[in-house]
Amino acid sequence: MSVELSTSGKVLRATSVSAGYDGRAIVHEIDVEATPGKVVSVVGPNGSGKSTLLKSLVGVVPVLAGAVTVGDTDITNLAPERIAMLGVGYVPQIDDVFPPLSVKENLEIGGYLLPRHDVASQIEAVLKFFPRLKTMMSRKAGKLSGGERKMLAMGRVLMLSPSVLVLDEPTANLAPLVATQLLEEYIRGFADHGSTVLLVEQRAKAALRISDWTCVLSGGRVVLSGAPRDLENNPLFVESFLGGGAARA
Amino acid sequence: MSVFLSSLGFGLISAAVLAIATVGFTMQFAVTNVLNLAYGSVMINSAFVTYFLNYHLHLNAWVAMIGGVLTGAFASYLLNRFVFTPFQRRNLPPITIVIVALGVDLVGTFGLQAIVGGSYFSYKQSLGRELHFWGMYLSTLQLIIIGICVVVMGLIHWLLKYTRLGKAMRATSANASLARNSGIRTQRVISSTWLISGALCGLAGTVFAMNTGVFEATSAQLYIVLLLAAMFLGGPGSAYGAMLGALTIGVATEVSAGYFNPEYKEVIAFVVLLGMLTFRPYGLFGSEKTI
Amino acid sequence: MSAILFYLATIIVYGAVDSMACLALNVQFGFAGLSNFGFIIFQAGGAYVAAVLSMGPWQKSNQGFQQYVLGWHLAWPLPWIGAALFGGLLAIPFVFLVGKRLRGDFAAVGLLVSAVLLNQLVNNFVPLFNGAAGISIVPAPFTHYLNPQGLGYQFAYGGVAVVLTVLVYFLLRRVTESPYGRSLRAMRDNDIVADALGKNVRVQRTSMLILGGMIAGLSGAILVGFINLWAPGAWGYAETIVLFAAIIVGGAGNHKGAILGALLVPLGFEEVTRFLPPLSNPELVPALEWVAIGLLIIGFLWFRPDGILPERRRILSGAGKSSVPSPIPTSGESDSLINLGNLDQMDFRQLLRLEGDASDHGIILSTDRLTRAFHGVTVVSEVSIEIQRGRLTGLIGPNGAGKSTTLAMLAGTLAPTSGKVLYEGRDITSMPSNERAKSGMIRTFQLASEFKKLTVLENLVSAIPRQSGDSFVGALRGRRFWGRDDAENIERASEMLEGFGLSEYADSYAGGLSGGQRRLVEIMRALLAQPTILLLDEPMAGVHPNLAHKIGDQLTRLVASGMTIVMVEHELAIMDAFCDPVIVLAEGWVLAQGTMAELRAKKEVVEAYLVG
Repeated sequence: MSVELSTSGKVLRATSVSAGYDGRAIVHEIDVEATPGKVVSVVGPNGSGKSTLLKSLVGVVPVLAGAVTVGDTDITNLAPERIAMLGVGYVPQIDDVFPPLSVKENLEIGGYLLPRHDVASQIEAVLKFFPRLKTMMSRKAGKLSGGERKMLAMGRVLMLSPSVLVLDEPTANLAPLVATQLLEEYIRGFADHGSTVLLVEQRAKAALRISDWTCVLSGGRVVLSGAPRDLENNPLFVESFLGGGAARA
Repeated sequence: MSVFLSSLGFGLISAAVLAIATVGFTMQFAVTNVLNLAYGSVMINSAFVTYFLNYHLHLNAWVAMIGGVLTGAFASYLLNRFVFTPFQRRNLPPITIVIVALGVDLVGTFGLQAIVGGSYFSYKQSLGRELHFWGMYLSTLQLIIIGICVVVMGLIHWLLKYTRLGKAMRATSANASLARNSGIRTQRVISSTWLISGALCGLAGTVFAMNTGVFEATSAQLYIVLLLAAMFLGGPGSAYGAMLGALTIGVATEVSAGYFNPEYKEVIAFVVLLGMLTFRPYGLFGSEKTI
Repeated sequence: MSAILFYLATIIVYGAVDSMACLALNVQFGFAGLSNFGFIIFQAGGAYVAAVLSMGPWQKSNQGFQQYVLGWHLAWPLPWIGAALFGGLLAIPFVFLVGKRLRGDFAAVGLLVSAVLLNQLVNNFVPLFNGAAGISIVPAPFTHYLNPQGLGYQFAYGGVAVVLTVLVYFLLRRVTESPYGRSLRAMRDNDIVADALGKNVRVQRTSMLILGGMIAGLSGAILVGFINLWAPGAWGYAETIVLFAAIIVGGAGNHKGAILGALLVPLGFEEVTRFLPPLSNPELVPALEWVAIGLLIIGFLWFRPDGILPERRRILSGAGKSSVPSPIPTSGESDSLINLGNLDQMDFRQLLRLEGDASDHGIILSTDRLTRAFHGVTVVSEVSIEIQRGRLTGLIGPNGAGKSTTLAMLAGTLAPTSGKVLYEGRDITSMPSNERAKSGMIRTFQLASEFKKLTVLENLVSAIPRQSGDSFVGALRGRRFWGRDDAENIERASEMLEGFGLSEYADSYAGGLSGGQRRLVEIMRALLAQPTILLLDEPMAGVHPNLAHKIGDQLTRLVASGMTIVMVEHELAIMDAFCDPVIVLAEGWVLAQGTMAELRAKKEVVEAYLVG
């Protein structure tokens, strides 16, 4: 794998963050810390507030209380474009590319903040990560398959060599094999090259396999967190997904 | 055949004017989702600024046109900044914004009429030699207008496909939230779009006035019908669709005028518009919003 | 002195005509949410028809300078009746623009353009309309009884116009203050939800287009009979904008507001400018009038969007007109404190008119290889499921599994790409959603879907099926016809509201409630629609767990009373407690089916939820 995208990761820290729409909190008092070279995952059932948490960190949903920092910079409630400029790359779960734009143009938009003459070389670097995209540069993003589209979405974010990668359910709607490859090869790879990765995943066990630290969110609160191998054997972990006392029995 | 060719000539010139206007109109819809029905009033106000510079300050009409273009750009920018954006922040349904736009149109058109009165005006400008080729009759002036249109369409193509700003415009139109996450200051992009589309509006107003020869304050009031027909034909929000739609509508209206009663030439635009709204409200080709 | 009196009579006629037009447009715009930018067509059309019906046959020798057709020389009031009928007929070609698919502003643009181009057409079409010159020497009506030059005639004409306006006012009130009017306002607030509750949106809009067209036609007839002239120049599309300005100023959704607006804007502007001294620039005054109307529209929409006389809040509970709604707690946490009142004592079978044998668990609803693709991406793929009568079936699966899409296809809000939906053995795949609702399939929505500017109680009552006053004809038959039925319905809705512990908000606008309360309103509303099958799309989303469990308990009771429920939900704890059986979808396929305990034992289900 290419090392040209190696970045100097920064620490992304959420301290006691509550966030939501119209002044009503959906997630409450969340503490999360993601550090360079590590994958931190947030898992939990649908509707537990995982996506809302991520969106609040990147400026899409207002933070109602608490603070978010990247490195030494306070980014609480900054505009999304300001947060992007500070090196936080965010891949939303849906609407993650610009469908009418070509693959190349999507990547160029990803490199919008780069000096003009660096764009082409950075596209080359990103394409080394995702060589499959190379064959479809002029195709419209809306016409890609699910897996290709996700690669493009990640490639778009990598254009800025972000110090922090924030990924919202990158494997949703992907075939299991593609999903595993995406998680184990690419996302783990980003961290191994020094990036900070904060990942929301619904495929909890798959997320555990590549994570260094995992938080379980339920009802908008962190109910469980720890190193993956501790969580895996914790009966509470399965229960928080499938519910009921059956798992305990 | 000769009827067809001569009316084709008229069709090309009206298509040229219409294309400049429609591309500006559709770009505004693309980035802000506003059907700016005040567009015609900005067009005619710009045409009158050109007139003022041309007639009273004795500038050459083509030089004076720059004043018209700038007027269109700034008026459109201000309109978005101080009228449409504040209303949109209130999360009102699109129909309310359309009603506001109609209100602005009345203020713009009749405010102008209050100043210039109800008489007719024309630029101090020669039509140039009449040229006769391939069965078409066009004046030099009209050829220049067609030339301007071709150049402007080329520039728009270059802007959208090859410049940073143009790509940012398309990205903002496709997904404003993701554009911000990519570091694009969408507010600036939107402002730039209104400046550029406003410039097209001012240009369209001026060449519209040049082409009709004589004009008054309310001349462009009904032009919005042709604009809407051209836009909906190509798909709302699509610049290339607008070009194609304008060419079709421009030629179709004039050719039908050549064969039937010219008084009813707009009827074809009307039929096209209602048909599109009924059966394909997102254009012949499109289902997605895209510049 | 007599000059002033003549003038007064003129004002009365104009005021009546403008009021009538504004009343009609307000019913379309303020009540039914129909932005008829082509309103002037109907008024102009009515005026033309009234004119030519009252004129004598076309003869070269006398009035040969103008051309027109008909010329039947009909006696009053036949031309006026003809005008009203024509106004209604004229609505029919525009019906296709007001279906539920087209964006409201696009439809409005279509109507606006129609107004512009019809005007141009008339301007140029001499044989039928005499072109731009229009028609003159239109005979004045009822000249047999009074001398048209006399003051008495002028006032009599004004009197007739006012009486007709008053009649229109009462007619429209009869429509809007009925259960049918409630359905119109529900459609205005959210047409997709109204449709899913069984309202035929297209028919409702068509009726209002026709009714408004008839009144517009009549108002045109009154005007043309008075001024005896008709020319297309006077009926430009901008006149519609003046009427819109009047309604925005007066107050949309309020009949008195419409009249006030009519007197202030069209009449006011016309009359005040009459008294200005003549200016050297003859266009100046009319131009400034237009500027002022434009500014009025923008200013009112910004500073006072509800107009001078805002829409009235309708108090349906017995609280009386002075009732002040309870303040609504703003914190989301307060939802945990919502208590479901005395719901446990409520007899659902009786309240919801549930019929049938609660122990019959035959197949009521099934799908056959149901498939849906969006832009080439298959979201639901050949899903075949069977829903048992009298059970609470859960539909679960990871994000993007196609649960909500499947539910929408069951309810008919989304058409499948291929496959079938069978309801009690009948193929209903092509049945529109509002008809499915009428036959007992009621769905709820994941996103907030309350009718915002209806009170909570109105939201509930609006859903009750087969209301005697919930049709145009029913509304016309008046309160004596539907009053008792409506009182009963309000009683039932209040009982439901009490059961859910929200009585104190009965008269509050639903749009102002907290998230949890709005969920409850939606569930209550769906129940009052008397579903045979209730299709719930994530009813617990955003609801505090305490409340969610209370709702779940009630759903179980409903099922025990014989209702069939299908519920999409992601909170599996809820599924555990209440749903049997549960169907698991993953990536658009049916993965497994069984009780939650059985499913939890299945490896593939655990994988789908936890593994990549």
